[in-house]
Parts: sequence; C-alpha cells; structure tokens
Amino acid sequence: MDRVVFESVRKVFRHHPALFNWMGRERGGETVALENLSFSAPAGQVLVLLGPNGSGKTTALKLISTILLPDAGTVWVDGCDTVKHARRVRQQVGIAVATERSFFPRLSARENLDFFAALDEVPPRDRRARIDSVLRDTGLEEQADTLVMKFSSGMYQRLGIARALVKRPGVLLLDEPTRSLDAGTTAHFWTTVRALAGQPTTILLATHNFAEAATVGDRLLLLRRGRLLADRPVRAGESAEALRSFYFHMTGEVDEAPGAIRRVETLP
Amino acid sequence: MRSTVDKLRAILRRDLLTAIRHRSGFAMTLIGVFMELAAFYFLSRAIGPGFRPGGVEYFPFLLVGTGVYTFFVMSAQAFLSSVQEAQQTGTMEVLMTTSTEPAELVVLSSISAFAGNLVSLGVYLLAGVAVFRASIHVDVLSCFVVLILSIVIALALGIVVATMQITLQKGSAVLWLLSSGLWFLSGAMFPSESLPRPLELLAHLVPLTYAIEGMRMALLQGRSVVAMAPTLAILAAFGAVLLPLAMGGLSLSLRRARRRGTLSFY
Repeated sequence: MDRVVFESVRKVFRHHPALFNWMGRERGGETVALENLSFSAPAGQVLVLLGPNGSGKTTALKLISTILLPDAGTVWVDGCDTVKHARRVRQQVGIAVATERSFFPRLSARENLDFFAALDEVPPRDRRARIDSVLRDTGLEEQADTLVMKFSSGMYQRLGIARALVKRPGVLLLDEPTRSLDAGTTAHFWTTVRALAGQPTTILLATHNFAEAATVGDRLLLLRRGRLLADRPVRAGESAEALRSFYFHMTGEVDEAPGAIRRVETLP
Repeated sequence: MRSTVDKLRAILRRDLLTAIRHRSGFAMTLIGVFMELAAFYFLSRAIGPGFRPGGVEYFPFLLVGTGVYTFFVMSAQAFLSSVQEAQQTGTMEVLMTTSTEPAELVVLSSISAFAGNLVSLGVYLLAGVAVFRASIHVDVLSCFVVLILSIVIALALGIVVATMQITLQKGSAVLWLLSSGLWFLSGAMFPSESLPRPLELLAHLVPLTYAIEGMRMALLQGRSVVAMAPTLAILAAFGAVLLPLAMGGLSLSLRRARRRGTLSFY
C-alpha cells in the first residue's frame, strides 16, 4: 500500500508587502512552489527528492508534515488527508528540518528529546530507552547531558535527526540531513536510514548530495521549478557520477565543475 | 488524559529548567519588585492619608491594582514571548508537526506561564504586606474565584496577542497598545470614576477593570462571594465570550499561516 500520495498538488506562495511598508520597495507577487505534482511512495521505500534550489523539495516535505496546506490537490499519508485529518497524519510523520537551531537552548539534548517525545505521545515507560537508542544512532551519547546552546552545527543536525526518529514514525522526512555532518557520522547515518527502510518506514529525503542519493535511495524524483521532471528507480550499484550526469541532463543546467571537483563532490 | 498530564509535566519542566538556568534574571526581577513597591509606597505617602479611593488606603489600593495589572500584562507577554521565541529559533514549525493539537499546546503552555506569574503576584502582594505594611482584610474564597475568572480573561488576552503575532508579526505593538490602554482605563493607579464620563463608560467595557475591582473587594475589604456577585458575574460573562472568540481566532490564524507558509515569519 502507498504510504504517501500526492494527487495533483499545487502550492503557491503569495507575497504581500509588509504592513505599514511606506518606505520599503517590497511589492506583491507569487511564486509557484509546486505545480500539479503527483507521485506515491510505498512502505519501506527511500524516495530521494533531487532538484535545484527553489525546485519545491522542502515545500513537498512541509506539505506532508502539515506545516503547509496545499492550495489545490490532496496529500494523503496512510490514507489520511493532511488537511482533514492533520492530527492523525502528524502521529505518523517525523521530520528533520534543515533549520539547525530549532531546540530549547537551555535544555540538554536529552531534555529536548524528552520534551518533544512527550508532545509526540511516546509512552513514558518507553521514552528513556528510545531516547538512549536514538542518541546512540546519531552519535550523541557523550553529549546527551550537554546544554544544546553549546552544540556545533553538526551536533544540532544530529539532534534534529534524533528528534525525528524518537517517535518511530511510519513516514520519515529528511531535509538535507547530512549537510553539516562529518564523513563518519554521514556513513553511520546512511546505514541507519537503510535499516529504517527495512522496518518498513517510508523515507523521503531531500538532498543535493548525489552520493547520498545513490547510496540510500530506492527511487528518485527530480523536481525543477515545482514540476516533476523525472520519477525513476535508483538502479543497484548506480554511481553518484551517473546520477550527477542524469541530473544535469534533465535540468538543462550546465555542470561547470572540473572533473576533480566532481569526483570529490560525489564522495560522502 | 494521561498523555495530557504527561505533556503538561514536560512543558512545566522545560520552563522551570529554563528559568532556573537564568538565575541572574530571576534575582533582578525580585529586586525590581521591591523597587517598584518602594516607589508606590513613597508615592502614597507623598499624596497623604486623606486620599482613600473606594474607602481604602492608597498604598494597598495601588498594591492590588498594579499587582493584578502586571499579572495580566506579564501573562500576555509570556504568550507573545513564547510565540516569538518559537518563530526565531525555528521550534514553531517543529512544534506544529508534533501529535499535540496547537490549541492544546497553547492551553498547556499557558498553565506554565500563569504558574510563574501567579508566583510573582504572590511575592508582590506578600512583600507589600510584610515589608511595606499594607493593611488587608482577606476573603480567601472570593480571592480564589476572582483569580480563576481573571486567569480565563488573561488567557484570552494572551491568545489574542499571540494571534496578532502569528497573523501580523506585530504582537509587540499590539501588546504595547493594549497594556498602555489598560493601564490608563482599568483603575490600576487611580479610581476610574476620576476619568471624564465618556472614558469612564469606556473603562466599564474593559474586563481588567472588574478583575482589579474584584480583587480589591476580596483582598482589602474581605467581601464574600455573595456580596460581590455582580462583579463576579460580569467577569464570568467576559471570560465566556472572550475565550472561545480568542481560540477561534487563533485556530483561523494558524490555518491561514499554514496556507501562506508564514508560520515562522517574525
């Protein structure tokens, strides 16, 4: 059964000049973030969203998580409409957003996770074990009792992933999850993602990293300016270089990176 | 029910730990309370014992008026701060993706905010009585009833300010406008009967006027619940109308922000 379904979804952001904007130059207008987007993702699949900045990847994740509502069309999660049954959808979905500092700075990592786990209705008797487990999976065991105001960017990002995992979601949304991670943590994270997909959790991963897409993805959606350019499987053993070529071929963008840089960029 | 209690525990723990880890802020607030009380004490002495608004001494009159006013404004401020902080730190969107309904989250967070402000109000009144010798004559039950009804109204006020922050990103300006209007009209510093007739009528449309009046009756004059039934009925009516309106407004503003993608705009 398909866990996540987009049916002809359209999302437009309308820009309204700020109130009392007498001195400013800001004018109204609109940006089409998603146009007639349809796709589905079954249980246990890692679906990679690729696309240039502003292509609609994050918007698609936010629509699934109910942070945003669609202007047209329907988003379904486990058979629930994200507009009509938002609470049931949120019970199913965990999201690790690109915003790093979305935590309470004067609480420790463990206290932050405990707080969000309570709001996500994780049973108190399971909470400690689950928090220990996700801290271990994200390599934050030693910093568990450190106030998060002292965290580096990478540690914030790991904590964001831990927060998304602690509720054991049926659908996991990851927005550039390894952007600030070191190579060792990234590799461990990819193993964790693959293990989750086997459980089976549906994972939607927005990324610019071709190595990540090739390593963990089962299928990829290529978006450009809110439209779906391609929806195809990631073939077993397909290289990051092959995905990179496919990306530039489909988007029509010019790959200006010299060969040496390209090779480095496709490494974890 | 069990999960609601668990969420409340988590929110109280978060706010308590954050407050404790801001020890210097807590100490400065205490010093500020004593400075403010000293100012009011010497102001009432300068005016002299002949001025007895509503038949009570001026210092206790000021003590209760400013204490209740501060409770209202600080509660609304707590709502505004929590929304602004959530928008600035990025927790707003994440909180909106948890399994907890936004309205439930607001109400549970408000309990924490009110608990802190109730402690402050208690310290303020106790210091006024113990250190500055304000004379009081308390009816505990009446005090309790006025407090509960006042909390309902303060909750509505806080939600309105939070809604304005989400909708217009201008919650601070709205709070400033509200707080200065309430300061002027509610009778916190002087009896509203001293105002010109049109403004006095306007003061009767302000719920804080009745909350302050009710608390003065209960704390300074020892009036029973029966004796102050008309004031309590007005407070209850304000609460019954304002709270559902405020909750409805918040729900609409959250939906609008989700539609427009402006949840974390500030």
